[in-house]
Amino acid sequence: MSDNGNEIKFELREMDLFYDGFKALEDVDLDIECRNITAIIGPSGCGKSSALRCLNRMNDLVDGARVEGTVNLDGENIYRKNYNVVELRKRVGMVFQKPNPFPKSIYENVTFGPRLFGIRDRETLEGIVEESLRKAALWSEVEGKLKTSALALSGGQQQRLCIARVLAVSPEVILLDEPCSALDPIATQRIEDLLSELKETYTIVIVTHNMQQAARLSDYTAFFMIEEQGDPGKIVEFGPTNTIFTNPDDERTERYITGRFG
Amino acid sequence: MKMDLDTDMDVEVESPPLDEEEKAVGGRSDVERRMRERIERTERRAAICDRIATVVIWGLALFGLGILAFIIGTILVRGLTTALTPGFVFGKPEAIREGGGIWPMIVSSFYLALLTIAIAIPLGVGAAIYMAEFAREGWVTRVVRFGADSLSTVPSVVFGIFGMVLFVIYFGLGYSLLAGALTLALLNLPMVMRTTEEALKAVPCSYREASMGLGATRWETVKKVLLPSAMPGITTGAVLTIGRIVGESAAVIYTVGIFIRKVPTSPLSPAAPMAANIWHTYTEGALVSDWMRVANGEAAFLLLVVLVLNLLARLAANRFQKRLGAVK
Repeated sequence: MSDNGNEIKFELREMDLFYDGFKALEDVDLDIECRNITAIIGPSGCGKSSALRCLNRMNDLVDGARVEGTVNLDGENIYRKNYNVVELRKRVGMVFQKPNPFPKSIYENVTFGPRLFGIRDRETLEGIVEESLRKAALWSEVEGKLKTSALALSGGQQQRLCIARVLAVSPEVILLDEPCSALDPIATQRIEDLLSELKETYTIVIVTHNMQQAARLSDYTAFFMIEEQGDPGKIVEFGPTNTIFTNPDDERTERYITGRFG
Repeated sequence: MKMDLDTDMDVEVESPPLDEEEKAVGGRSDVERRMRERIERTERRAAICDRIATVVIWGLALFGLGILAFIIGTILVRGLTTALTPGFVFGKPEAIREGGGIWPMIVSSFYLALLTIAIAIPLGVGAAIYMAEFAREGWVTRVVRFGADSLSTVPSVVFGIFGMVLFVIYFGLGYSLLAGALTLALLNLPMVMRTTEEALKAVPCSYREASMGLGATRWETVKKVLLPSAMPGITTGAVLTIGRIVGESAAVIYTVGIFIRKVPTSPLSPAAPMAANIWHTYTEGALVSDWMRVANGEAAFLLLVVLVLNLLARLAANRFQKRLGAVK
């Protein structure tokens, strides 16, 4: 439980991240509340994306990456031995910076996850497809052409398809790594509206370069920074978005959000 | 490509535009004139060099193509009429009399190719998947890669002798399709491995992330995302390998055989793939008076087969590419 009585989904304690000898993150403490949007902001190269990727162990794919400290999901350390990473990634879905639909049909993209978990029944799958695409606000645009290639969609549609693909495995948390950086303002607007709706059901963590987006969208904001090139990234300040953007404790936070560096 | 410099532009860069008055002053316009002459000279020289280079490069390309056309032309002119005769293609080979055909040789070639592919593709693709997706970059992968690269430079006749010693004699397979297929599989393994690995590496990393991010294991990712995406590359590699097998003679001579009269039926039968049989007919075939006709016809037929296979490789790759829906 956090101070205001909300359930905590992720609890990071003294988390360090190493890439071989290089320390990329140091001493990260973070509480991520259920059914809220937590934004991670900070200048380029400060480790925001790396921090996000620690939450579903996506860094495992990088040779030499190692995490120390605690990352609890519902009170259980996801970095403990024999933790089921596949199950973790099902519970904690991820949307990437560049829309990355598979070179398959829209239908196959959405059913990819459910099929992995052994759902074969056609009707069930079709139900999942419709529901996921509706939730991702894409259904009306693709309803008649589910069998066409996902690559024929526009960038914004592809990104919403990627969100639908994540929703199809009914995750508890959705991680988004700068999901709008490759999109135009209108597509961005749609994704933001969508996320505001999704937070009723899901816990959302979003990395963004766009300060306005963090301010508009999130309930909590974490500001990451590195002191000098080669230093590890650290959390400078973490708190309710309102406080961070109107009355930050740390001078560096204020300088960053008012656009004086980074 | 032709350089197309705008002279006026260049002069402007060197000296800013002059007023009418200034132009009247003799010294300035003299400098300008000389400058312009120099630029024009440089330009002319560049244009001439460019033209010479273009002619030379075209000439070299045409020379290469010309040789290829000459070889193909010669083979076809000498043998095409024979190669396209049904009696020749489907006929039985003759050891002493005239008028023999090459049907058993054609069957041998394809039988051998299929057997080889059946051995080489699973091995090569499997190894490539391991190398590209599972193995950590380190000394093991480096050694395997170095080994594969070295193997691909070994002359095929060496493989032939190795295959003869190991499969034909030691394993007691005798001269047979299986012994040949095993040898040729070794010969082609590096190529299959390399093309598959390249194809897998060319699959964007974002597909891997997307798949694993949805909770797929590494193997599920390979099976459902990477292999389908890499299929055009793998298929092209496979068809080209078939082409190489069909055209291979040295390794075949030592392991499969050079002349038969009956169509081979089992993998343990001796056989005589076309390329090996052509060599045999040219060098020792003088027992039949029309050996020249047989060899030339067979060569033309073999050439057609290889050309068609290469064409098929292209078609298959394009087809897969389209099905993947790559719009860009």
